[in-house]
Amino acid sequence: MTEVCVGFPLHEHFVSVDRKVAPNSLTAHTLNIIANAENDSKQIYKPFSYFYSMNAIEIENLSKNYGKLHALKNMNLDVPIGTIYGLVGPNGAGKTTLIKTLVGSLRPSSGFAIVLGLDPLKDKWKLRKQIGYMPQSPALYDDLSARKNIMFFGKAQNIPDLKKRTDEILSFAELSSRSNDKVETLSGGMKKRVSLCCALIHNPKIIFLDEPTAAIDPHLKMQSWILFRKLAQTGVTIFISTHLMDEAMFCDKVTILRNGEILAVDTPQRILQRGKTKLKIFVNNEENISIIDSTSENLADELKKFGLEKNISSIELHSDNIEDVILSIIREKEKEEKS
Amino acid sequence: MTHTFIIAQRVLNQLKGDRRFLTLSLIAPLIIIYFLKLLFDTFPPFVDVKSYTIPISAFIVHFLSFVLCAILLVQERTRGTLGRMMISGFSKTSIIGGYTLGYFGLATIQAITALAESIWLFNLNYDTKTVVLLFMVIWLLAIVSVMLGIFISTFAKHEGHVIPFVPLIILPSVFLTGLIIEPTGLPTWAEIIGKCLPLHYAVNIVHEIIKPEYKIADTLVDFGILTGYIFVLLALASLTLKETE
Repeated sequence: MTEVCVGFPLHEHFVSVDRKVAPNSLTAHTLNIIANAENDSKQIYKPFSYFYSMNAIEIENLSKNYGKLHALKNMNLDVPIGTIYGLVGPNGAGKTTLIKTLVGSLRPSSGFAIVLGLDPLKDKWKLRKQIGYMPQSPALYDDLSARKNIMFFGKAQNIPDLKKRTDEILSFAELSSRSNDKVETLSGGMKKRVSLCCALIHNPKIIFLDEPTAAIDPHLKMQSWILFRKLAQTGVTIFISTHLMDEAMFCDKVTILRNGEILAVDTPQRILQRGKTKLKIFVNNEENISIIDSTSENLADELKKFGLEKNISSIELHSDNIEDVILSIIREKEKEEKS
Repeated sequence: MTHTFIIAQRVLNQLKGDRRFLTLSLIAPLIIIYFLKLLFDTFPPFVDVKSYTIPISAFIVHFLSFVLCAILLVQERTRGTLGRMMISGFSKTSIIGGYTLGYFGLATIQAITALAESIWLFNLNYDTKTVVLLFMVIWLLAIVSVMLGIFISTFAKHEGHVIPFVPLIILPSVFLTGLIIEPTGLPTWAEIIGKCLPLHYAVNIVHEIIKPEYKIADTLVDFGILTGYIFVLLALASLTLKETE
């Protein structure tokens, strides 16, 4: 469906992508960005997510019904390789259903999904070697140690030198010191990290994370996102679902989902621009309220109405944050349905 | 095949780690058999309690193996590890095989200890050949129970769902399989139900081989049917355990 445009050989995705690129299709601007990225290893993920060169996931007219309940409604979605792709929506929006369909544990009622060029049902054995899945609950054996859990799921993939790989992944998730402790003795956040390690042990090209930061404290949540970004920097595509709207800002691209329906697909920055700014200007203690678009030009225009007169005693600005914007998109849809 | 051994090893590791479960599944049959001895001691001397001892011991192993295995597999489902195993690349055949193999060891120990205790407590004087055959019956029945547990677990969404299957599947075995009374006296439909239950064939074999003079050839059909249960339940479990909902 989507033609490959660009890539560079820092990850196996890129190698295959590069081969498909016609040399004359690379613009000077493109090459410049790639060159800059190669100089700065920390920025590797940027050109990848920037160019959206090839889709890791392609979904067309996908629906899933449970009897009369339409869990997914005629969904269309493309997820570019190497991005952190957020699936944001309230509980019951269909996030888990979509993820389960993509990993091949649910059969869609109609439409299809392609993950890494493979059908999740027909090519399940090929696909399962290339994907990682972290379910909503930790899905671990409490009476086994973190290491034994990781190694058990690693053995399913016949990984060479599994012990070394387990050490690497434990160190990546900063769990080395607790690796031999039984999972039942670990905190909720640590269990989530063990679960992440189990999903990452076989070096997947794409990882599905179902609400990985639900029910963990803000500090751990931030640590988890740093971990996800570190992972994305290695070229792994991350498909992540969350009901915490503010987390949309950590993603490269976001889909807002409600009742199995896509309400918006965009970068978080552009979604944020849909927000409003409430401007309160007090002139001679008299309140003037304006609701304007959250762009600097609009703000300047609004202020120009008042000039810079000395009687402006205070200005209050309240700009919508990403959570406000997403909630307003959801509310708008609710209103539309009611009317 | 390797995956089957990996799962079996994990099941054994888990059993080893869960001492409460391990103790319960090994000690509980022994305690119940001891209670049986206390009960039988109250019976008048003309009651031939010896013909009931081994079949009831076999039933206890059957019941506990079924319930414990079903509950553990349902736990796998509710915890999400079953789904994760499948997405990680384990096939359902290797999961069923791994579980069977993992419990194989436990079923063997249960069969040995239950039989040894029964022989010792009830002072049963059987020759070595009979003891070996009795062990084989209990052991086969334990394996059938594991398979039955795996099969039934596919119909349960949580541990509580296993409970209704106990009166539905296990308790009829007590009344319809010849454990307490001869099934020939039952109405035909009840006798047919009894013949569908694996315990019926185990009881038949035990009754045959505890006779002073018996021929192994007379037990072969029942042994064959009991073994057949393993393969039938294995096939049914493979059909009902779904990789995709």
